[in-house]
Amino acid sequence: MKIDEAKILISDDSILARKQLKDIISSLGTPTFVEASNGQAAIDKYKEEKPDLVFLDIVMPEKDGNIAIQEIMAYDPKAEIIIASSVGTQSQLKCALEAGAKDFIQKPIDKDQVIKVVTAFLERR
Amino acid sequence: MYTQFFGNYLLSKGYVTNEQLFSAMQKQSNEHMRLGTLAIHAGYMTASEVDQTIIQQTHEDKKFGELAIDMGYLTNDQVLELLRSQSPDFLLLGQVLVDEGILTNSDLENIIADYRSQNELIDLDMTQDSHDNIMKLLDNFFIMSETPLSHYGHMYLELLFNNFIRFVGEDFTPLTSEECDAFPVECCIRQRVIGEYEIASYINMDEETAIAFASRYVGDTFTEYDEYVRASMEDFLNLHNGLFIVNVSNDSSLELKISAPEAIDDPIVEFEHRTYHFPMLYSFGIVHFLYEVVKTCE
Repeated sequence: MKIDEAKILISDDSILARKQLKDIISSLGTPTFVEASNGQAAIDKYKEEKPDLVFLDIVMPEKDGNIAIQEIMAYDPKAEIIIASSVGTQSQLKCALEAGAKDFIQKPIDKDQVIKVVTAFLERR
Repeated sequence: MYTQFFGNYLLSKGYVTNEQLFSAMQKQSNEHMRLGTLAIHAGYMTASEVDQTIIQQTHEDKKFGELAIDMGYLTNDQVLELLRSQSPDFLLLGQVLVDEGILTNSDLENIIADYRSQNELIDLDMTQDSHDNIMKLLDNFFIMSETPLSHYGHMYLELLFNNFIRFVGEDFTPLTSEECDAFPVECCIRQRVIGEYEIASYINMDEETAIAFASRYVGDTFTEYDEYVRASMEDFLNLHNGLFIVNVSNDSSLELKISAPEAIDDPIVEFEHRTYHFPMLYSFGIVHFLYEVVKTCE
């Protein structure tokens, strides 16, 4: 898949984290971005917009990222979800990967790492 | 690296005023360490020998090192060693204060000796930011003799200092910490750490400071207090607490969680539990960090 054809959902309660992710990904091209600021909004946006790739924070109000992954994966087992969180504990990582997340980015957001996971996703599709 | 602790020491001993420290901290980044200051720090020369050498320099057109060798104060090897050595940042702050005429070389010599003995750092390499060094400095500066900090409290504060250094900048001085029951706030964010060890953490500052803080943290230029500035404060707190629970999970089997950061709208926060206030003096303003111990498992 080409980056310009991709629709990417960025779900983080921090407007700053959303902006940073969008800025980094935009250096690769011009995908369509969809945003959500809590776990419930992420689930709703996923169903509504059917994005190709999802960035999801763990610690969010309403429903947290772990619940959001489970609900999105239940709705669409082929969902491509990448966790971007400051909470990179062993158990969180395990929980996210078990629920079906494809990758885990530990904050602070590192440009090279984001580009690497996005590029890997584009090659998979 | 731990200039901030030396700054606090100078303030608490009355060697400098807030304004003098502020001014010296701002000038520090443009300064280079001089051989004389390094020689005092290494114990190779006394302040009076350094002063004598500087006076001699007004008569002879020679470098400080050459003159100090000629005058028998330093050996060639010592000069080479000093030139190669990495100097601790706090020394540069001291040197700026000497240049400003606030301290003399002799004052600096005494202060370094006193500062080292107070912090049990005599034989330690000040350029190594070793775990033990930080712990000793924390113990000395956050004297909470009635309720000594727990293991996790130490971990939390050590990480906090490192995160301020890593993500905001090392040019800060922690002012005297204190316990408090309530705190007036302006731009304040709270985040809770939840589990067997529970705390509530708060970061508070005035708008101008928040704008400068966010600009540094994000590496962007903000000009007004807006949602991005607030999000930067939330992000810093979230990052710090997130890294703390990662460290705790690496250190023990304890699995903690963090809540989503939230803005405090009330003008005063009243604390239900023991709370410590850590003010950090940056050149752009004071960042207030509050640490409320809700539940401890030790």
